[in-house]
This record gives sequence, structure tokens and C-alpha cells, in this order.
Amino acid sequence: MTILEMAEALRTKKVSSLELTNDTLQKIKDSRLNAFITVIEDAARARASAMDAELSHGIDRGPMHGVPISHKDLVYTKGVRTTGGSKIFKDFVPDHDADIAISLERAGSVLVGKTNLHEFAYGITSTNPHFGAVRNPWDPERIPGGSSGGSGAAVAAGILPFATGTDTGGSIRIPASFCGVTGLKPTFGLISKRGVMPLGWTMDHMGPITKTVRDCAVAFHAMGGPAVDLKSTAIRGLRIGLPTNYYFDKLDLDVSESVRTAVQTAAALGARIIDIKVPDIDALNVVGRMLLLAEATSVHRENLLTRRADIGADVVTLLDQGRLIRGSDYVDAQRLRRIYCREFSKLWSEVDCIFTPTTPTAAPKIGQMTMKVGSVDEDVRLATTRLMRAINILGIPALSIPCGFTKAGLPIGLQILGAPRAEEMILRVGAAIEDATGVVGRKPGA
Amino acid sequence: MTDWKKTAEALNPPIPEADVEKLLPVMEALEKAFLPLQRTLTSESDVWTGPEDVA
Repeated sequence: MTILEMAEALRTKKVSSLELTNDTLQKIKDSRLNAFITVIEDAARARASAMDAELSHGIDRGPMHGVPISHKDLVYTKGVRTTGGSKIFKDFVPDHDADIAISLERAGSVLVGKTNLHEFAYGITSTNPHFGAVRNPWDPERIPGGSSGGSGAAVAAGILPFATGTDTGGSIRIPASFCGVTGLKPTFGLISKRGVMPLGWTMDHMGPITKTVRDCAVAFHAMGGPAVDLKSTAIRGLRIGLPTNYYFDKLDLDVSESVRTAVQTAAALGARIIDIKVPDIDALNVVGRMLLLAEATSVHRENLLTRRADIGADVVTLLDQGRLIRGSDYVDAQRLRRIYCREFSKLWSEVDCIFTPTTPTAAPKIGQMTMKVGSVDEDVRLATTRLMRAINILGIPALSIPCGFTKAGLPIGLQILGAPRAEEMILRVGAAIEDATGVVGRKPGA
Repeated sequence: MTDWKKTAEALNPPIPEADVEKLLPVMEALEKAFLPLQRTLTSESDVWTGPEDVA
């Protein structure tokens, strides 16, 4: 069930929050996806009963009231351990909640647990060396993407309708793409990051991972974003930019075809498709890598120097690289960032939103280090973040929705970009495409 | 170009020798890509302060 279906069922008394929560807890137990690090059964049941009591007394907090959710295990939860996917923090229990945890509690949601992730959110596989690999519900031999891999897998498997995510270089949108669900990276700074373990302060974003676009709008508002009205999803006359450079250059054929089909769908709904040339995305990606290497090492320097053996090899390598970045190079990268932001913002006078693929391929296999994209072998991490990272540097909102499947039956993601604070518009476009394609109705087997 | 091996050894504490080799190709490629971008900066190039700070 989606958030909105649960909300309807709760208000018509077809189901109670306790029943929904018990069902979620049972699904977690039955699942082999390893999507959760911590499950709080008793607290979740108590909270669900309290939410049922409120509804029965006429207290209605809105559509999240009584709905089971989970937080990515970077989000501080008072009294519930928050590991960051790290052995170093395996017993860390925060004494306060993150702002988004407070917002979602006020909205009436029922927290059932904390989802697994790539260690420190510093990677895209969610193959966690301390808590085990998260598996993709569409093919358990494949990664769910990351770093919010547990959140993506749990939502895709139908364990719950919504889990929180963070996105520093694609960590909401990559799992959304690989797991066939919806992920929103809002405008930089729009959703509070207070109480969320950082990775890169100037690139970290909080956002929802949900099954549908309408649920995404509800969850976004409950996390502290503005209310989004999706009663009308008319996109007639909307100007959709289609990049003629970079974004379609190196892709799997299935991905290219699915995204172009989504473009045709938008055109059939009355949108105007406009060819655009985007600024140098390779340059933005270089700037982004420079910034993230430096910032992440600043965050985790003490952990690296004092607990090196307790950090996974891939993350140690990245943190070591960060130690080598010069301060002046970091500042120059932030100066370049401003130039590229200005260049990119000129596009918003030509178009209202931009369509791109989310990832150049569907989900690779667990343990796979390189993959073929078209006819070229690429590093899995660099290939998977290639269409993502620049968007974190720009700080603009980006929505990933499923738009099709490969011949092997793996989901493909469409990324919809908008100007700063254009979340309502990109969600409206996403809902229009979702309604027209029906892709979201297909369910994974695992 | 930077001698990344020497730089890694000069850090306090240094990056363990066994781990330095795997950093070198990545750092060399990153520097090679970054330097031409860096050279485009002028004295008027200010620092980024947010996505809406584009005016």
C-alpha cells in the first residue's frame, strides 16, 4: 500500500495503524534483503497504538498519521542507535532527534527502524562490510544502489511506503533508479540537515524515497518542505529541456530508449520538448569530486586516524584521497562551482524542467567493480554517479521516477531537474508521467 | 604536476605505504582534470554560497 492508500484505509477504519505496523514488522522479518540495521518492534507497536487512539478521538495529523516509516541510519533518533553504517558507531545512541525525525513524528508517522546504507553514506553500492550487503528486490544478486540502499530496497519490496534518504552525490536518486521507486533530492538547504550525520556539508541533501510521486509529495511536506498540490497534473505547454550533449552520450540502449519514451509521453500530454545544450557536466563532476573528497575527510578525519582498521577499504581509500586535497584547491573548486551555477541557471529562461536518465545502466551485480556501458568498460562508482553528482553541486531539485525496464526486467530511472525551489513543478511532471506510463504498478519478486 | 607519493608520505601521520599506490592514479587523473578548470578563475571569481546565489 502507498501512504495515501494507508491514509484512506485508516480513516475508513478498514485497517488500524497497529495492523499496518505489525504487517510491516512481519515483512521485515520475512525479507532477505538486509534492508534494516535496527528494528524497534515494541516502540513501533506502542506508537501505532497511540496513533490509533488519536484517530479514534478525532485527532488527525494528516496523511502520514499512523503510517509506518523508517529512517536511513544516518538520521539521529533519540534513544535508538544510529550507526551511520559504521562499526565505529555501532553502539551510538543519540540523545536527541534530527529535525526531520521531529517533523515526521509530529506528522504522526510510526518509526519501525533504521535502514542499512553504504558505510558513512560514502558510496553507491550499500554493500556494507559491517552490517552486510543490501540486496535489490528485483534481483537479489544485484545492488540496490546507494548510499540510501536499505531505504530504496525496503520501499521497492513493499515493506513500507516511505523511508528517508540523504543525497550527497546521488544517494537518493541512485537507489530510486536501481530499485524502481521514486526519490526526491530537494533544493539544497530546503530540508533541515540538523541531526543527520554529515558527509559533505555543502552537498548533503535530505529527501524522501517512496513508491509513488504523490506519496513523495506528501513525505516531502512531512519532512519540512512546502505543501505540494498535485490535484492537477496538467503539463500542457510546459517546456521540457532535452539535453543534446552529455546526458545521452554513454548509456545502455534500454535506458536511452526508456527515457526517450518518457519524453514522447510528455509530448503526447502537451508538453513542449526543447533541445538544450547543458554546460560542461564533466567539469562539474570534477569540481564535485574535489569538494566531496575534502569535506568527507574533514568529517571523518579523527575516525580515519584513530580507527582506520574499523573502516571499510573502499571508504578508507576515499578518505585518504581527501587528506591530499590542498585547502586552496578546495576553495578554487567552490569558486568554480559559482561560475557553473550561473551558467546552468541561464537554462531556466529556456525551459521549465529538464529530462535526463538517472543512471546510465540498471543495477550492477554485488561485488562488481567495473561495468560495460554501451561498449565501454567503466568504474561502477564513477559511471553510476556520472549523471548525478553535478546536480548536488548545483543544488537544484531533482526527482527520479521509474520509467521502464530493461530486457532483463530491471528498473530504469528518469531524472527530472528543476530550478531552485521548483519541487512542486517537477513533482507535477513526475506524477503526469507516472499516471501515463503505469510503470509503477509492476512489483519485484524478491 | 604534484608528486602525490611524496605528499602522502609527508602528511602527519603519513598515509600507510601499502595504501599509497592505489591513490596515485586517481589523484593524478583528478589533478589533470582540475588544473585546466582552475586556470580559468579570475580575481573576480567569488565563492559559491548557495543554489539561488546566481545573480
